[in-house]
Amino acid sequence: MNYKILDFENHRKKEKKKESLSSSRAIVAVQVKQTDELENILTKKFLRFLSMRAEAFQVLRRKPVEGYDISFLITNYHCEDMQKQKLIDFIVQFMEDIDKEISELKLSVNTRGRLVATEFLKQFI
Amino acid sequence: MTKTRGAICLGSTHRSMACFERASPALKEILLRLYRNERAIDADHHLHEFGSVEYYIQSLVSDPDHTYLSVSTPILSQAFLISTRLSRYTIEKVKAISAEVVEIVQPPKEGYQLTLRLNFARMSHGKESIKMITDIAAVQGVILSSQLEEMLMNVNSQDVAQGMYKPIKLVYHPREPFYVIKQPQKITAVFPMRFKEKTDVIIATAFFQELMDVANTKACAKAPHCIWSPIPPPELRGEAIEDLSTNGGFVSFDITSRHIEGKRLDKTVWNLLNFYAFVKNHVKSTRGFIQRRMRTCLKRQVEVLQKTGLQDDQHIKAVKGHKRMRKLVNFTKFKILRYRSDFTSKLKRIRSRLKIHGFSRFRRKWLSFPTFSSKTKYRKLEKDISLQHD
Repeated sequence: MNYKILDFENHRKKEKKKESLSSSRAIVAVQVKQTDELENILTKKFLRFLSMRAEAFQVLRRKPVEGYDISFLITNYHCEDMQKQKLIDFIVQFMEDIDKEISELKLSVNTRGRLVATEFLKQFI
Repeated sequence: MTKTRGAICLGSTHRSMACFERASPALKEILLRLYRNERAIDADHHLHEFGSVEYYIQSLVSDPDHTYLSVSTPILSQAFLISTRLSRYTIEKVKAISAEVVEIVQPPKEGYQLTLRLNFARMSHGKESIKMITDIAAVQGVILSSQLEEMLMNVNSQDVAQGMYKPIKLVYHPREPFYVIKQPQKITAVFPMRFKEKTDVIIATAFFQELMDVANTKACAKAPHCIWSPIPPPELRGEAIEDLSTNGGFVSFDITSRHIEGKRLDKTVWNLLNFYAFVKNHVKSTRGFIQRRMRTCLKRQVEVLQKTGLQDDQHIKAVKGHKRMRKLVNFTKFKILRYRSDFTSKLKRIRSRLKIHGFSRFRRKWLSFPTFSSKTKYRKLEKDISLQHD
């Protein structure tokens, strides 16, 4: 899994009108490695599913940064409301879990396919 | 005398489920209702299934002993269209249900391929009667499968001249044709696979690869040899281009004489006819499985995030306010309504005994219960707005 923490100075300058100068923003953009078509479709499906429910996560962006699969936006308000260390732990765990979940999903889909195929062919015997 | 008349159309939504049941569920239900009726009724039912299968069920008070069932089904292949007569296998199978109860009417009703005269009075009671009715409701499947059975029975026949392996196009479900190619010592069934969505194609492709792998294992050594290919097999060369344009590739099964011995013939035919439905059902259930896994993962992640917001609770504590005020404010809408109704009923009781002039105005002004909209928990408005912008 590739990931990048983007410190958007330019981005901040653009948004200066909306934001106060004391506000801080950090964007964590994540790109999930995809080796084959099944993994690719599972990743897209899964990350789209999460992005559509971004309000449940507070720090998740509905639209990821261009070139990445999923991104988080952490502002000073999030840092005030939540424990910073736990927030960092959450993002790290989130990335690990996504990677693990996609690998497991791929394995499960193949295992299910194998079981169904065995059952189908057994009917001929 | 009771009269019933009905016309039912079973659309594509029922297709995937009905495919795995040989008997038509709607037809079975109607036949069971007619069988369970104690007195004769006039019944006239038209059933349409899959857009092309038609059933006509007729029961008359004037002929209380008999119920007539007519079936019209599209033929499996144009190659069989030599005569409109039913094949020997179909007649044998229909007679095998019960010679006493089921009788083939010759000629069949106009517009139908088969008409059966059913005598429910001769039918034994209990579980056997339900089994018999299920068999009768599966008669359309019998007509179609017997055509393929007849074809497979000739696997080893010498009438297939060498080099004359012309594919026969079979249509069991509309828009889902498959091919049967007679070859020496075997018959190859080729299924062009088409799917609407890309996700379905990928799930199905993963399944076909597993199918090929499993077919090569020792455990399934006796099962038909299976090949999946993204391009049409050479045997289909010369077929119409629209039939060969697929997004899911081609799945081929080699059927040998081993797979059509005795009772296996029926199973082989049924598996081949329902291969499309089987694959589509697998794809659908896999999509459901993925969705369930994603929901579980989402729930888990949200729980993790909720643990990070401990400072939020402290913040709420700071703005809780005075104890008595909090108690008043913490009333839920239900509690408020309940208190209000209690209070009104008390006043009603008072009013029923004593009538004071002008009391109602006094009550409206001074005794009405204050309304509270909701719990007043502080939220930073500017924070919400900024989050919405993000």
